[in-house]
Amino acid sequence: MKDKYPSGQKENKQKENIKLGSPSLFGLLRGYMGIIILLVVLTVVANGLSISVPKIISGTIDDYAKGNFIITNLIIEFSIIAALIFIFTYLQNIVQVYASERVARDLRNEISAKISVQPYSYIEKITPAKLLTNLTSDVDAIKTFVSVAVSSIISSIFLIVGVAILLLIIDWKLALSVLVIMPFIGGAFFFILKKVRKLFIKSQEAIDWLNKVISESILGSALIRLLNSQKHEDKKFLAANIEAKKVSLEILGLFSSLIPVITFFTNLATLIIVLLGGSFVIQGSMTLGSFTAFNSYLAILIFPIIILGFVSNLIAQASASYGRILNVLSAPVEKKTGGFGAVLKGDVEVKNVTVSFGDKLAIKDVSFSVKAGSKTAIIGPTAAGKTQLLYLLTGLLDPTSGKILFDGVDVNEYSKKSLHGQVGFVFQDSAMFNLTLRENIAFSNTVKDKDIEKAIKTAELKDYIDSLPQKLDTIVSERGNSLSGGQKQRIMLARALAINPKILLLDDFTSRVDTNTEKNILTNIQKNYPNLTLISVTQKISSIEHYDQIILLMEGELLAKGTHKQLLKNSPEYVQIFDSQRSTNELELKNEKI
Amino acid sequence: MNYSLAKTDIEKETQKGVLTTAWRRLVPLMSEERRPVIISIIAILASSAVSLVVPIIIAHIVDTYIVGKNFNGVLMFSGLLTIIFIAGLFSNYIQIITMGGVGRRLLFNLRNKIFVKLQELPVAFFNQNKSGDLISRINNDTDKLNQFFSQALMQFMSNIILIIGTAIFIVFINFWLGIIALIPAIIALIATQLLNPWVKKTSLKSLRTLGNMSAEIQESINNFKVIVAFNRLDYFRNRFKEVNQENYSASVSAGVASNVFNPIYVLASSLAQLAVLAYGIYLISLGNFTVGLLIGFLLYVNNFYSPLRQLASVWSSLQLALAGLDRISEVLALESNIKIMPKDCETAKITSDHASAILEFKNVSFGYVDGTDVLRGINFALEKGKTYALVGPTGGGKTTTASLMARLYDPSRGDIFLEGRNIQCYLPEERAKKIGFILQEPFLFNGTVRENILYGNGDYDHYTNDELVKMLEEANLTKLLERFSDGLDTKIVSSGDAISLGQKQLVAFIRATLRNPDILILDEATANIDTVTEQLLGEIIDQLPAKTTKVVIAHRLNTIADADEIFFVNAGKITPAGSMEHALEMLLHGKRKS
Repeated sequence: MKDKYPSGQKENKQKENIKLGSPSLFGLLRGYMGIIILLVVLTVVANGLSISVPKIISGTIDDYAKGNFIITNLIIEFSIIAALIFIFTYLQNIVQVYASERVARDLRNEISAKISVQPYSYIEKITPAKLLTNLTSDVDAIKTFVSVAVSSIISSIFLIVGVAILLLIIDWKLALSVLVIMPFIGGAFFFILKKVRKLFIKSQEAIDWLNKVISESILGSALIRLLNSQKHEDKKFLAANIEAKKVSLEILGLFSSLIPVITFFTNLATLIIVLLGGSFVIQGSMTLGSFTAFNSYLAILIFPIIILGFVSNLIAQASASYGRILNVLSAPVEKKTGGFGAVLKGDVEVKNVTVSFGDKLAIKDVSFSVKAGSKTAIIGPTAAGKTQLLYLLTGLLDPTSGKILFDGVDVNEYSKKSLHGQVGFVFQDSAMFNLTLRENIAFSNTVKDKDIEKAIKTAELKDYIDSLPQKLDTIVSERGNSLSGGQKQRIMLARALAINPKILLLDDFTSRVDTNTEKNILTNIQKNYPNLTLISVTQKISSIEHYDQIILLMEGELLAKGTHKQLLKNSPEYVQIFDSQRSTNELELKNEKI
Repeated sequence: MNYSLAKTDIEKETQKGVLTTAWRRLVPLMSEERRPVIISIIAILASSAVSLVVPIIIAHIVDTYIVGKNFNGVLMFSGLLTIIFIAGLFSNYIQIITMGGVGRRLLFNLRNKIFVKLQELPVAFFNQNKSGDLISRINNDTDKLNQFFSQALMQFMSNIILIIGTAIFIVFINFWLGIIALIPAIIALIATQLLNPWVKKTSLKSLRTLGNMSAEIQESINNFKVIVAFNRLDYFRNRFKEVNQENYSASVSAGVASNVFNPIYVLASSLAQLAVLAYGIYLISLGNFTVGLLIGFLLYVNNFYSPLRQLASVWSSLQLALAGLDRISEVLALESNIKIMPKDCETAKITSDHASAILEFKNVSFGYVDGTDVLRGINFALEKGKTYALVGPTGGGKTTTASLMARLYDPSRGDIFLEGRNIQCYLPEERAKKIGFILQEPFLFNGTVRENILYGNGDYDHYTNDELVKMLEEANLTKLLERFSDGLDTKIVSSGDAISLGQKQLVAFIRATLRNPDILILDEATANIDTVTEQLLGEIIDQLPAKTTKVVIAHRLNTIADADEIFFVNAGKITPAGSMEHALEMLLHGKRKS
C-alpha cells in the first residue's frame, strides 16, 4: 500500500475524491427524498413565518402613526405567528435530527455490510484503523452535513432571497445601496475560509496523531509501566499536543479577523440605512415604519450569509469524508467464491503456490498434499511463512500463483459457507470477543449445544467452565483480560471444534498450553473427531513424531517433507531443530517410564 | 482497588445547575490565565458597550433629527456612529483573539493533565476497563472539549456579558417596559432548568452508546480474520446493526431533547417583542415614550434575545463539554494504588528474612477485584544469578506471580523484597532498571524495529544504526535481527499480521536484554519462536552477566531444563519442585485446577 502511492499522487487522488464527492454528497440524500422534502417544507415555513415578524412590527408602528391601531388585532395576529414559529421550528429541528441520524445509521450499516463481503486481505490492506475512522468520524461528518448543512442552506437562501425581495419592495433605492455591502462580506468570507480549510486538514492530522499516542499508551500500558517510560510517553503526547495547539491558534488567527470584519461591514450597512433612509424619511418618501423594518431586516439578512460561509466548510469536510467512504463502498469485491458445497472428505493439495507481497516473496513455489484423515505438521523458524500457509488453506489469503485443492476441487469453487463450515482454524494470537463464553465458542446462535459440549470436553475446558458461577454465560471481557493465555487458546480450539470440522488447522496451538493438557487434548481429538484431517503448525517435534507427514518450511520455501524418520535421515535442517529439542525429549521419555 | 469507570451511573450526574457546575469546573482551570481573561473581559465589555449604545444613538437620531427633519444632525451622529463602529472592530478582534487563546491553552493543559494521569494509573486500571471504550472515551471527550473551548466558550462568555448588559440597559430606559421585555426570558430560563436533566440524561446515554459502538467496531475489525474463517460475517453484521440501532435511538432522543431549547427561546423572543410593542404603544399614547425610543427598545430586545438564543444553541455543546469534563474528572480523580513509600521503609516492621536474596516473597496473597484469589500466603526467595522456572497448569497463577515481581500489581497481603528492601520503597526508575519483563503478549509501537528495541532506553538513542548494530553484535543479538527484512529499519505496524507473533517476541526479547536488568522475567516469551532461534536465545541468555537472575515461565520444557530451581505454581500455591523429574510428575499427575 505504502509503495503504491507516492505522497503527491495520493493527494491528487484525495482532491479528485472531493471533486467527485461533492455532487454525490447530495446524491446520498436521494434515498431520503420524503424526509428531505418534509425538512425543506418545514424550514421554509418556519423561516417564512419568522421574517413576517418585522413586517408586523413596522405595520403596527405605521398603523399607530395613522391612528388606526387596534391592540386586540396585534395580539391575536402576533400570538398565532409566535405559536406557529415555535411549532415549526421545533418540528424542523426534530426532523433534522431524525434525518441525519438515519442517514448515519444506514451509512454505517452499508459500510459494515460492504466490509463483511470483503476478503481478509482487503481489511489488512486498508488497515483496521482507517475503517474505524470511516465508520466513526467520517460518518459523523456526513451526519453533521445532513443535520446542519441541508436546512441551513435552504433557510439561508430562502432568507437572503426573501429579505432582499422584501427590502426591494419597501424601498428599492435604499435596498440596492444596502445590498451593495453583501458581496464584500461574501468575499471576505470565502477568502478566509479557503485558507482555513487547509488548516482544518492539518488540525485533523494533529488530532489523529494525538489519538494514536493515546491509543498506544492504553494498549501498551503494561510495557510502559514495566519500563517506567511514562515520561517518554508524556513527551510524545506533548509534541502532538503542541502541534494541535499551534494549528488551532493559526485557525483562531484567521477567524479572529473574520468575525470583526463582517460585523464592521454590517455596521456600515446600518450606517447607510441611517443616512440614506433618514434622508428619505425627512424628504417624506419613506415612512418611519419602513425605516424600522429596514433595520430589523438587516439583522436577518446578515446571519444567513455567515451561516452559508460556515456551511461551505461543513460541505467540504463532509465531501472529503464521503469520498473516503465511497472508496470503501465502491471497492470491487474480489472474485465471488463458487457455489460448490459438497461434504469434504479431507484431501488437501497445495500445488506450486507462491505468495508475494509487493516484491517480497512470502511463500515460494510450495507443493504438498495431505490425505483425508491424516495428520500433517508444518515446522520451521520464525517468519518462515507457516501462518501464511494456513491462511491460504482457509482462503484468508489468495495465492499469487498456484492452486489449492480440496478433494481435487479448487478452493475458489467452494462456497464460503461450505468451506468455512468444514475447516476449523485455531489462530495463534488470541481473538476473544466481549461476549459470553458460549457465544465465543459457538460464535453464532445456530451451533447445537451438543456440539458445544463435545468441543468443550475435547478442549479440556469443562472443569474450568464448571468452576465459573455463570458457566457458559460468563462474559469474556475485551481482549480476554480475565483469561490466561492457555485458557484463551483452548477456547479458540473449542470454537474451531464446535463446527464439527472435517479439517482442523492449528497454528502453534501448543505454545501456550502445558504438556499435560496438550496430550489430553490431542487424545480427545482423536477419540471424539476420528476422521479429522489435522494440519498443525508447531515448534515441538516430540508431539508430532508419529504424524503422517512433516513439512519443513524455511523463509517461504519447502525444504523437506516426509515422516519423522525420513526427515531425520535426509534433512540436516530438521535434525538441527530436533537436536535443539533433544534435552526435553529425553526428559519426557524418562517421565513416560515413571 | 476498583478502577472500573463503567459503573458510575447516569443518575449520579450532578443535579446542580449547569452554570454552577461550569463555574466550578472551569474557574480552577483558568487560574493561570488571569491576565488574558481580564483583557478579554475588558474587550468584551467594550464591544458589548458598542452593541448597547448603537440602538440608543439610532433612537436619538430618529426622534430628534429624522422626525425633526434635520439632516445635518443625522450626518453628525452618523460620524459618531462610524467612530464607535471602528472602536467595535478593534475590541471585537481583541476579544476573539485573547479569549480564543485562553480556550486553546486551557484545552492544551487539560489534555496534558489527562494524559499524565493516564500514565500514572496502574495496569489494573487498564485491565478493568475495555481498551476500546477507554480510547473512545478519552478521544471523544477531549474532542468535545476541543469544540467547546475553541468555539463555544468565547460565544458563551461574550453572550453572557451582552445579555446582562442589555438587561440592565432596558430596565434603565424604562423600568416597566424593561421588566415586561424580560419576563419571557425568565420563563424560558425556568423551562430550561426543568428540561435540563432530561437533556443531560439523554445526551449522556447517547455518548455511552457511541462508546459501545466504537468498542464493537474495534473488536470486530481487529478480529476480522476469525470472523471470516468461521463464516460468521452475518453475525458480525447483525451485532453491529444492533449497537448501531441502539446508538441511533439514543442519538435521536438526545437530539429531540437538546433541540428543544432553540424553539423555546425563539418563542420567548417573539413574545417579548409583542409585549414591548403593545405596552410601548400604550406608553406612547400616554405621552410617556417616543417612537424612536420604541424602535431602539425593539433593537435592544433583539440584542437581548439573540445572544440568549445563541447561548441556547451552544448550551448543548456546553452540556456535552461538561459531561465530557465530568467523565474526564472521573479519570483525573483516580489515584494509583501503586504508591512509593520511602518513609515507611526506613521504619519497616517487616523485614526481609533472606538479606542476600535478590527477590523474596513473604506471606504474599493476591486477588483480583472480582474476589477471586489467585495466590495465598506465598513464601520464597530467589538468589542472585540463578535461573528459576515457574511451571504449572494454565491459569494457575504464573503470570500473576511474575507481575507481582515486576510490581505491576501490589499484593493484597504480605510483602515483596527486592535486594532486601521492600519493593514498594523503590523509585519506579530504579525498579525498572533492575527488572526486565518480557510480556506474554508483546506490545510494539508503530514505527521501526530500531525505535521499538530502544523504546524506554535512553542509553543508545544517539547511536547511529551502525553503532547500534555493533552494540547488538557484542550482545549476540545480531542474529535475531536477521529475521527482519530491513534490519533495524523494518517498519512495524502493530495491528495486523505484517509482523508475526514470533517476530514481535524477538523484538520484545532484544528490547529487554539490551537493558541489562538484574532480574529478567520471561513469561512465555519465546512461545511462538522456533526452537532453533530459541536455542539461540538460550545462548544469549547464558551469556548475560553472571549476576543476572532469570525467571522463566514456559510450557515447553526444554526452555526450563537448565533452571537451578523449579517452582510449581497451582491453585494459589507455589511449591518448590526440586528436580525436573519431580516437576514433570507434578505437571502430569498433579491435581489440576483449570
